[in-house]
Amino acid sequence: MTTVEARERGAVDQDIAVTIVDTDVHPLPVSAEVLKSYAPAEWKNRLWPTGNAVSPVPHFYDTPDSYKTNSLRVDASPPGGGVAGSDPDFAAKQLLVDAGVSIALLEPMCDAQLPGAEHVLKATHNDWLADVWLGENNWHGRWRGAISVTAQDPEQAAREIERWASHPYMAEVLITPQTRGIPFGSPHFDPLYKAAARHGLPVATHLMGQTPFELIPIYPVGNPAHWHDFFASWPLLYVSHLMSLVFDGAFDRHPELRVVFVEGGFTWAMPVMWRMDRIWEQRKADLPHVRRRPSEYIREHVRFTTQPLEDVNVAEYREYLEMMDLGDVLMFSTDYPHWSYDSPDWAIKRFPAEQRERIMRGNATALYGLPTTVKALPGEQPA
Amino acid sequence: MSIIDANVQPHFRYNAEIRRYLSAPHKLRSIPDVEQQWYQAPGGDYRQDLYGDHYPGSDPDTVARHLFDEGGVDLAILNPLTRGNIADYLLNSRLCAAINDWLLDRWLEPDTTGRFLGTIRVNPEDVKGAVAEIERLADHPKMVQVGVPLQSREPYGKPMFEPIWEAAAAHGLPVAVHINGGNGVDHAPTFAGHAFTYPGYAAFMPLNSFVHLATLIIEGMFGRHQNLKFVFADGGYDILTPLMWRLDTFWMSMRDQTPWVDRYPSEYLPDHVRFCSSAFDGPTDDSHAERWLNYTDKADLLMYGSSYPHWSTSSPDTVVAGLNDVQREKVLWRNASDLYGVASHVEGSRS
Amino acid sequence: MQAGKFGVGVYNIDGSLYAIANYCSHEGAPLCAGYVRGTTEFAPEMPDQIRHVREGQIARCPWHQWEFDITTGANLADPRKRVRTYEVDVSDGQVYLTA
Repeated sequence: MTTVEARERGAVDQDIAVTIVDTDVHPLPVSAEVLKSYAPAEWKNRLWPTGNAVSPVPHFYDTPDSYKTNSLRVDASPPGGGVAGSDPDFAAKQLLVDAGVSIALLEPMCDAQLPGAEHVLKATHNDWLADVWLGENNWHGRWRGAISVTAQDPEQAAREIERWASHPYMAEVLITPQTRGIPFGSPHFDPLYKAAARHGLPVATHLMGQTPFELIPIYPVGNPAHWHDFFASWPLLYVSHLMSLVFDGAFDRHPELRVVFVEGGFTWAMPVMWRMDRIWEQRKADLPHVRRRPSEYIREHVRFTTQPLEDVNVAEYREYLEMMDLGDVLMFSTDYPHWSYDSPDWAIKRFPAEQRERIMRGNATALYGLPTTVKALPGEQPA
Repeated sequence: MSIIDANVQPHFRYNAEIRRYLSAPHKLRSIPDVEQQWYQAPGGDYRQDLYGDHYPGSDPDTVARHLFDEGGVDLAILNPLTRGNIADYLLNSRLCAAINDWLLDRWLEPDTTGRFLGTIRVNPEDVKGAVAEIERLADHPKMVQVGVPLQSREPYGKPMFEPIWEAAAAHGLPVAVHINGGNGVDHAPTFAGHAFTYPGYAAFMPLNSFVHLATLIIEGMFGRHQNLKFVFADGGYDILTPLMWRLDTFWMSMRDQTPWVDRYPSEYLPDHVRFCSSAFDGPTDDSHAERWLNYTDKADLLMYGSSYPHWSTSSPDTVVAGLNDVQREKVLWRNASDLYGVASHVEGSRS
Repeated sequence: MQAGKFGVGVYNIDGSLYAIANYCSHEGAPLCAGYVRGTTEFAPEMPDQIRHVREGQIARCPWHQWEFDITTGANLADPRKRVRTYEVDVSDGQVYLTA
């Protein structure tokens, strides 16, 4: 970990306006040893692959040249060593200063096969995140963290949420969407939703890719062979969960619950809302507990992050987003330091002008209760 | 204006009727009933008003009256359901053949007006049997497409299915993909497992067609077979623009892993893909319908399909609400007429 | 090397010099920070239907791994999405770039 000179830090005690909130950033431990040091003694040798199975980033579906890139930006490796995303100060330089992000939500990715192990692994990540990213290295107050919890054991997850709920920089709960055949609307998740909602913490979900025990669901009509068609279809996992949340009454059971779908696209949200509204209108008797139009639940309870933005004709794209009228529901994200990173400068131009402020800053600020100013870093212009 | 209804499901009069078309080894095999769906709509899958003297969709005269006389339709493509993805793929193929024979016997041969056209149902799990069935019936002038279930344990772009698509394309027959009757040895219908409600199932299920479509492109199936056309007969085309945008965007990154894909994936759509309309697709605000249909050139891809006698049967008027005249003509008859080469049928029926 | 707003990368391919802008036509990533590779073409006679070609001639963007032909600046998938190229002359130990 590179250190910033104390005098550098102290030299800038200026505030700048929050203009860009990045709702999807991936910190990585600089080494397995460092991460292990946060694990309970009895789990240190049980949570990680041993022997030859040491690769931290297996790819069941390969991104380009993933053996070399590990699905990361090639230019994001810290000069002091370590993998991209492992150095808070270099990440601050590239993301906060160079790219102009004001506040970023940090979402570690991890999973394990068995519930007990997964709980410990997630708790270990929480301790690591709080120490390395949200403590001294967050002197500028610009990192926020996600409380990683296991979806396999919602009671255990609720206890972990309680453990972190009052931390000043933990801003959300994070679970995998790869939930082994249990859709998000199931009462299975109620203890987890209850704990999150009680503390005003949104529940974010992000594909747990690039983890040793990623559990890719079996697609209903079978799985594609290549990352390309796999990734284009993958949003249908979020669609499935979204339909369940509404049709199975999760938002009725948890009126304060907010759910964030991360990195699953969002342009599908409009047609899916239409479908759900239509079928609710035509089959109300089958959904007696769904008291409002599905699209109303979605607008109130659900948010989507924007990366990866589709690279299509800008005029057509903006027109589509205007028709979608979901400017209150989208939150900008970069996915730094992953390879499919979206730059803020490029992204902002793709949104209709009157939606930009909400997407780049306003919606996330409201959802996560973020401040309007943060500390400037060396190299930034103060407000 | 002419109207072609590209998606009608005719039914047997009673469950055991299919046995008349089975040969001796199969007559005593168990076969799921017609409405035996894993996710049957509460109250029945079919329009309540059609349960009466006949099983819904089982009487040709009644169907003709509803579609042609009262509905204003000129031509109907009949695509019968089969009884599920039964584990015994050889039995399943015999059921497909029985249903094809029944369709000819009860619907297509007796129809002297030429307003009913049909589908050759095949079982993709039995590649040899499917190819043989296509060869058996492809020359029949009233069989205008091949029909397969939406349900499958592998997506249709995968190479194991290629001989079937090749046979269909060789005969100029599109392949229609439709949610099949019953279920059987299937995966759960959503990406997150089984749905807990019927609407949770019904709203999602047609969207699975995108995985078939994406694999047909990325595996090179469309690239290798210029004449191959797929019809996704349960709709789900609302998801097309967002997910094709995604497929196009990442082609730039992934091209080197699948270099046989030599153009933007969406460029394959006009020559290879069509959809039938459904009651669940389309903007809930008609004022958006015209613009919406032009995204991804859906106006060239969409064909009116009623889904008669399903409870969600939609009339031509509701499907084209909000569309401009050019779009209406394409959706109501021109796209289907071009696809199935039935211009003469349409002209004949209008005179 | 420093030239223009974003810098330029100069590449030696089989003794000839080529230069492309250090700015990807997609989102403006520093193109020259990415790997230099070959690419693939469709080869139906191969068991996996892929042949590796043009080693050392393709710049892959460090972000989304878009492929650019260093000799022409054209994107391999969609040649319209090209990056800027420069003519390279070397004289008296100095490298001259011409846009």
